Amino acid sequence: MEPMIGAALESDLDLSVELGALRLRNPIIAASGCYNRGAEFGRIMDVGAYGAVTLKSVTREPRLGNEMPRLLSTPGGLLNAIGLQGPGIAYFLEHEAPKLQSVPTAVIASVAGFSVGEFAEVASRMDGIPGIVAIELDVSCPNVDAEGACFAEDPSSTAAVVEAVKARVTKVPIIAKLTPNVSDIKPVARAAEAAGADALSLINSLRGMSVDVDRARPWLANSSGGLTGPAIRPIGVYHVWQAATAVKIPIIGMGGIENGRDALEYLMAGATAISIGTANFRDPLAPLHVGESIAAELRKRSFTRVRSLTGMANPDFAGVRA
Amino acid sequence: MVSTPLLEAAELISRERVAPGFWCLGFRSPEIARRARPAHYVAIDLPGTFSVRLPLGIWTARDDTFTLLFREWGERTTRLACIADHEPLSIIGPLGNEFSLPDTGKRAVIVAGGIGVVPFWLLVRELLAAKVRTTVVLGARSKHMLVGVDELRALGAEVKICTDDGSAGTRATALDLARELAPPDIFYGCGPPPLLRALGEHANAAGIPCQISMEETFGCSMGTCWGCVVPIRRGSPQAVGYPRATNEKREYDFARVCVDGTVFWSREILWNR
Repeated sequence: MEPMIGAALESDLDLSVELGALRLRNPIIAASGCYNRGAEFGRIMDVGAYGAVTLKSVTREPRLGNEMPRLLSTPGGLLNAIGLQGPGIAYFLEHEAPKLQSVPTAVIASVAGFSVGEFAEVASRMDGIPGIVAIELDVSCPNVDAEGACFAEDPSSTAAVVEAVKARVTKVPIIAKLTPNVSDIKPVARAAEAAGADALSLINSLRGMSVDVDRARPWLANSSGGLTGPAIRPIGVYHVWQAATAVKIPIIGMGGIENGRDALEYLMAGATAISIGTANFRDPLAPLHVGESIAAELRKRSFTRVRSLTGMANPDFAGVRA
Repeated sequence: MVSTPLLEAAELISRERVAPGFWCLGFRSPEIARRARPAHYVAIDLPGTFSVRLPLGIWTARDDTFTLLFREWGERTTRLACIADHEPLSIIGPLGNEFSLPDTGKRAVIVAGGIGVVPFWLLVRELLAAKVRTTVVLGARSKHMLVGVDELRALGAEVKICTDDGSAGTRATALDLARELAPPDIFYGCGPPPLLRALGEHANAAGIPCQISMEETFGCSMGTCWGCVVPIRRGSPQAVGYPRATNEKREYDFARVCVDGTVFWSREILWNR
């Protein structure tokens, strides 16, 4: 097993970051959907290499998810349509939440919902659960209240979810995870900030699909899915750059990060922390490799704090490098 | 029982083209070789452009080496076939659960289709060591696609072969040939879905236990992404066991092939939904 964190990180460097009231020992987070309940990859590596891990989203009701096939490898990416398979909040609280304290790093819960009320209810039931240090709102799934659109495609729907959750969640910061499927992310980011979000996560997967030409049918049972992996990195960096000119709250950048240079792109565009998702499937030691690259970059520039990198390439950066 | 995997840099030490489009690659990795059990697989990180890990079943394991027998089928398997000699590859393994063995003196029939032979070298070795009388029925489209026969015979197994075009062995399907044998105490199967489905239905109808190694598209190979599910009977040991949503109409449950399998009892798999 690898050391808890690379030797390069155990040094004079300050890799800690703050996401609202949440302080992480390093800026590297495992993305939701790719780390399930935070324990599975612990069979082959030390999950403590992460500053935090984000759990797979929990909904109010149990969900069996989509039919298979659910996955398709595409050039530079992975198309998925899992369908939020999960146990529902009651089962999660009884059977899975008690195990979270043994995860050797901070745990961010993820909540998905189909109505404002569902978000508020599920998030409030997670508030104060030992081991959960923040709650991320997956406002990128279909919104029944708005007839099938995603909450995060619309500033007022996004604000409605964040406001309702903030009214009931008092103990931990709230992170709004935004969708890239918008022409301009700035109004959505501003709406989330104004509604009280403590941080933003962006980007979620991009809507996409693939057709099996032999069978003349979509590859995925669900027809369309979400695209992740390095193919979406330029889009993620762009949206982080844009949002970082519009809001002061910290941004967690994600989308196609595979190595340290990818992470640095996001940090320099304006992210305070970064998340690794699909790359875990290829390289479970990615947090170590990314951390060591960030440390090397800091040394090269004679910086001592990772926060110094945030937004350094973005002349219109509006956030705080605290 | 689910294995405890390792993340290792395994060195490629041998490469053999065993048939047109079929390769057998040998890797030095003492711990993966030592831990390998029947039906275990490894997940390989291929150098080059982005892709998730390639999962491949372990064919043989001896001393400090294991081999992978695979068909060149798609970009990733083609890339693996071209890996440079002695290049270390990042391999996670062994992964997955394993076949159950019957008691000494029982009879086992293995039904394999084409490259579905892969999980059976380790199984045959175990069965013969446990003094289980074992027959392997191995089918393929033609003699050029029949691999693994010599290695299985070298273990001492009775191997019956058949092909769709009659170019080797009997002109029949593996299941047709298996049906001609006296009913065994257990069936094992791996291969194309139509063969597995027919085998499962035959075994279920005859009341014979049958274990099948399943395949699906894997994402993480570690049980985190829920991409590689198969529908199985609700309440079966490998079912997830979550409560039902009030509006959920489906009567089955999903299990992950990568960690809850790859081996499932045919009675648990829902072929007709």
